[in-house]
Amino acid sequence: MKLDPSSETRKRSISVGSLFEATKDRFKLTQLNGANGFANEIKDKNLHRPGLALAGYVGLFTYDRLQIMGNTEIRYLKSLDPEQRRNAFTTLLEFQIPCIVLTNGNLLDANLLEAASAKAIPIFGTEFSTTKISYFLADFLDDQFAPQVVVHGSLVDVYGVGVLVAGRSGIGKSEIALDLVERGHRLVADDVVMITRKGEGILIGAGTDLVKHFMEVRGLGLIDVRSMFGIRAIRYQKRVEIIVELEEWKENEDYTRTGLDDSTVTILDVEMPLVKLPIFPGKNVTVITEVISLNYLLKHYGYDAAKVLAKRLEGMIEHKGQGNRAINYFEHDFE
Amino acid sequence: MIERTVTIVNRAGLHTRPAAALVKTAARFRAEFTITKDSFEINGKSIIGVMTLAAEKGSSLTLRFDGPDEEQAAEAIVDLIARGFDED
Repeated sequence: MKLDPSSETRKRSISVGSLFEATKDRFKLTQLNGANGFANEIKDKNLHRPGLALAGYVGLFTYDRLQIMGNTEIRYLKSLDPEQRRNAFTTLLEFQIPCIVLTNGNLLDANLLEAASAKAIPIFGTEFSTTKISYFLADFLDDQFAPQVVVHGSLVDVYGVGVLVAGRSGIGKSEIALDLVERGHRLVADDVVMITRKGEGILIGAGTDLVKHFMEVRGLGLIDVRSMFGIRAIRYQKRVEIIVELEEWKENEDYTRTGLDDSTVTILDVEMPLVKLPIFPGKNVTVITEVISLNYLLKHYGYDAAKVLAKRLEGMIEHKGQGNRAINYFEHDFE
Repeated sequence: MIERTVTIVNRAGLHTRPAAALVKTAARFRAEFTITKDSFEINGKSIIGVMTLAAEKGSSLTLRFDGPDEEQAAEAIVDLIARGFDED
C-alpha cells in the first residue's frame, strides 16, 4: 500500500505565546511577569525541573526546555538569604530559557520576576500540582511535536472502530463513506485525512480545518455531509484502527481465505491491521466494511472466528471425525 | 473430466493452513473442482467446504476436475497434496 513517507511532517518548534494561548484556560496558567518573550521557541517536547541549576550546577542543563519549578525549587530559594536567592535565580537567567512555570500556586519575589522580564523570559503560574501540570504540558507538547502524515482516503467511525478506507483515486472511497454515513456511521474526513501519532502506537485522524466534512461525489460535485445529514453523521477526530484498502479484483493476487494470515501496513512507524478488499460490480463493500469492524471488535474482545474454526477442525482431524450434519436427528418440525 | 485419487501425507492432516493453500491453488484455474471423501462431496474452491472434510493423515480423497485447464489444475493440486502442503 502506498503511503508516501516523504509527506511526513512534524513541528520543529512552537512559540511560548502559542503554547500560552492554547493552554491558559485548560491548564489555568496566568502570566506573573510582564516579560515580552512570547516569541521564545520551545524546541523540545520534554520538560525540565531546574533544581540542580538553581543549586549552581549547570552542566548538562537542558535550558531550552520548558522549565517547571515546583515546591522543591521554591522552598530551596526561600531557604536562601535575599542576595544568594537572587544569585541562584539569575544563574538560570544566563541561559536562553523559553519560559518558566511555577506550580502549586507558588510565587516568586518581585525582583526575581523583574530579572526574568529583563531577559524576556515569561513566568507563568498555575494552581495545579507539579505532577499534574507536568502531565498536562508533556501531553500537549507531545501532541504538538507529534509526527503527522496526510493520507488520501476516507476515515469513518464504523460501530466505534476507526476505519480508514484507502485505495486509488476514483475507486469509490467517498461513495462508500457516504453509504456508511447513510447507514448511521460517522464521517471523520474524506479525501484528505491528517494522521497524527499520539504517544506510542496510537494514530489519531482528523480532517483539515478548511475542508472538515465536505466531500466530493463524482458526477455531482461538492457536498457538506454535516449540513446534509446532521451532527450524528460526523465527528472531528477518531483513532485509526484498521486500514481497508480497496482494489480492483486481480486474478493472481493472493487474497486471504481464512483471515489467519494477518497483514499489516506501517504508518508513522505504527503497524496497523490491513484488509485488502477486492471489489467488483455488485459487491456490497459497505456491508463488508461493517463486517470488518464487527470482526475487529470480536477479535478485540477475544473471539477470533478463524482461530476458533481452525481449532475445531484440528480437534476433529485428531479424533478422525467428519463434517456431519449439525443436527443429528430432525424431529417432527416440518414448518 | 479428470479424476484422481490422492492420500493426505502430512502429519497434521488437511487443517486450516493447508485448506487455504488448496483453495488458493484451485482458484488459479478455471476448471471446476470437487473433492469427495467417504461419499461426502464438496467444492474444492470453498475453504469452508474443504475444512468440512476434516481429512486426517492417510485419508483418501477423490478429486474431480472439469474445465478447459483441468490437466494443469489436476497436476498442481495433486502435486500440492503429495508435497504434504510443504509442511512436515
